Amino acid sequence: MALYEIHTHAELRRYKTHVCSKATLIQIFCLLLTIIPPFFVAYRSEGFYKKIEFYQEQPVIHFKHQVIIFIQLKNDYVTWSTLKNFNQLHMGHVRLPVVKSREEDMNRDGILDHLKFQLDMPMADSEEVLGVTLILIFDYKLRKFVSLDMDCMAYVQHSTIIPGAALQFVGDLKFHQSEPLIHKGADRRFKEEIISSSSVHASDFDLHDIFEKYSRRNMSTSLAQTYTTWITGRGAKKPFTIKATINYPQETLLYAPGFWQVIKFAWIQYFSVLAVFMYLVGKMRTFIFQNQLVTTIVQRPWTKIP
Amino acid sequence: MGVNGLVPARFLTLVSHLIITIVIFMNLDENVTACLPLDHTSADYDFNTNLLMVGLILTLVFLGIEFVCFLSGISMFMPIQCLISTFAHAGASIALSYFIVDVWKCYNYYYVFAICSAFPVFTELVVVVGAMVFRV
Repeated sequence: MALYEIHTHAELRRYKTHVCSKATLIQIFCLLLTIIPPFFVAYRSEGFYKKIEFYQEQPVIHFKHQVIIFIQLKNDYVTWSTLKNFNQLHMGHVRLPVVKSREEDMNRDGILDHLKFQLDMPMADSEEVLGVTLILIFDYKLRKFVSLDMDCMAYVQHSTIIPGAALQFVGDLKFHQSEPLIHKGADRRFKEEIISSSSVHASDFDLHDIFEKYSRRNMSTSLAQTYTTWITGRGAKKPFTIKATINYPQETLLYAPGFWQVIKFAWIQYFSVLAVFMYLVGKMRTFIFQNQLVTTIVQRPWTKIP
Repeated sequence: MGVNGLVPARFLTLVSHLIITIVIFMNLDENVTACLPLDHTSADYDFNTNLLMVGLILTLVFLGIEFVCFLSGISMFMPIQCLISTFAHAGASIALSYFIVDVWKCYNYYYVFAICSAFPVFTELVVVVGAMVFRV
């Protein structure tokens, strides 16, 4: 009659000892050897816990209908803005243009996709336009992780030696961040006005100071991917036209992940190294106790010692 | 005790610690230069050289004591001393490999020395005194 192995199961050999014994010291040492080195291995090999992550979102941008325009002529300049105090400061050079703007949502997802802006500045025939500075102010919102609400600016400057009839440009309103976004909560740090609408001091309307303050922000926007066209040959009695299309693109943003996201990834890294150490130290402990390198009470499965 | 491989393990870890100590000792200049910043003074260099050299020589002396006690058989068949010695010298070999490759500062050598050279020699001497004085 042939025999074959039908079933197996492990029997346990138990090692028992008092609390104060060499065996306990060995046990404590092995425990520390299992728990602590995986931390070192996981941390020193980089990427243990995520400090920065990225995601994609299309921000909700609205044009605030605040404009500053400087047009540089040969020996003079012409300016206009939607801020009363600014116009008063430049009294004598202010001229009223015709401004048209509309924002469109091309893919009907409820988020505006671009701004079409046109400004016609009336000009005398003898005036030659040599340079344009244009500032537009927008309202910028993010909603997916952080509730960011801020004012932002698009700045265009073009100057040339050839007198022009029109300036046309297309650009993207790109987001700049010098620190990662928070992962939840509201961020209204930059909801302040970029150009003060109520100040009466001339220094508050100095463009360089405004730009310096703006560039020091941790989060701002600028016009990128700009394609500019300068059209020459202005006809008689025609205004100087600025035509702009400013796209509101989808952004890839960096944020600092929250506690549970960090723990979720850190835990698996620790555990994967811990498994190796547990196996090796387990083998070591079996060797030590099986060969009774430290004396313990050995309870074999067929004897019962309480 | 029986045949269980503990004695060869102790011997091998002792030898590996000895080898790595000798390696550091033979390239003492380069190790000291590596652990100092680029703009170090020669006083810094001398101080660190002395620091490391004293540590290394003490380690070699202690390893010598342990070899003598081990190979003469006094503590060869004492399992607890074999375990302590094996763990300590294995730890020392790993730590000193990191010392060389990761370019640790010279004073960190003394942490390795205290745990992995001084401690087993201390327990060894306790064992030897116990064997000679109390059981002879």
